[in-house]
Amino acid sequence: MKFDPTGLIYLTVVGIAYAVVARRTPAKAPAAAKAGIKQLASIAPTFLAVFGIVGLFEVFVPPSAIERWLGASSGVSSLFVGAAVGSVAAGPPPAAFPIAATLLEGGAWTAAIAAFIVSWVLVGVASLPFEAQTFGWRFALLRNGLSFVAAMVIGLGVGAVL
Amino acid sequence: MKRAIELAKKESLVLVVGALYLWAGIAAPDKAVAALAASGRALVSVALIIFSVFLALGLFGTLVDKQAIGRRLGHGSGFKTLLLAAGFGTILVGPVYAVFPLLKAFRDHGARPAVIVTIITAWAVKVPMIPLEVQFLGWGFSVTRIVLTLVAAVVLGLVMEPLLRTRVPVAEELAAEPVTID
Repeated sequence: MKFDPTGLIYLTVVGIAYAVVARRTPAKAPAAAKAGIKQLASIAPTFLAVFGIVGLFEVFVPPSAIERWLGASSGVSSLFVGAAVGSVAAGPPPAAFPIAATLLEGGAWTAAIAAFIVSWVLVGVASLPFEAQTFGWRFALLRNGLSFVAAMVIGLGVGAVL
Repeated sequence: MKRAIELAKKESLVLVVGALYLWAGIAAPDKAVAALAASGRALVSVALIIFSVFLALGLFGTLVDKQAIGRRLGHGSGFKTLLLAAGFGTILVGPVYAVFPLLKAFRDHGARPAVIVTIITAWAVKVPMIPLEVQFLGWGFSVTRIVLTLVAAVVLGLVMEPLLRTRVPVAEELAAEPVTID
């Protein structure tokens, strides 16, 4: 397996940022590290599950199925499917990337996958009641509806550029 | 027992995936092992990035002075305010359950709905997670998605405001407000 230095590079950059913060405000660096690790620990099980799904996808879902639902040949419908799946999925945002990559490898359309990622973070069917409780139903429905459309438009844009 | 149920609810995805593997293991053991191996490879390849991402998230959460930014976004919904809101959204970190109440506090201090919508939309950019996105999907994908998301953030802010102002009563409002005929 080829060694990929990206992780080390990023860790180094973050480490330097921490060193700078620690020099300026010593109390903040440990607090930040603790907050970050606590957040990681709380979503670690979900992460493991998501990577478990990635493996299942690779082995069990035939590319033809991905192609049919999310392929470029299905056009607007695959764009819609991508945005819809992203809206219903309620996982931590970084978990969308490995799933998106697996779908792309399986033959999904770039536009549909970009729509999937944007709606994953922007449209939340599961968190809709909470958003409505916070800002009112009108705001919540409008914002989620517009974001759904935006996800598809952004998807088309990414598909057109790449 | 109650705690077990709560835990099962919180980690329902883990249970579902576990059940899928169990089923796969019985139906096609070879494939289940292959899937598990593929999962492991995918996880190991980005474990360090994920760890770094969360350290960065912690740093962002601690350093960003949310109150000061809230005060700056408290007035106006002009183009400049929306740009500022979009910028803030990109460095805002945290789950829905922490971010929405924070934004509600902004709104209660006078921030326009346009500003709130722009922040929420730009929040989809998630600067600390960019290395992870690039790793999986490449620079071209990531940069294009981010630029378009920022454009959408400002556009949605501009569109949302007039839409919120047009009076089409929603069920909740119908229930809450007694009907009066002027």
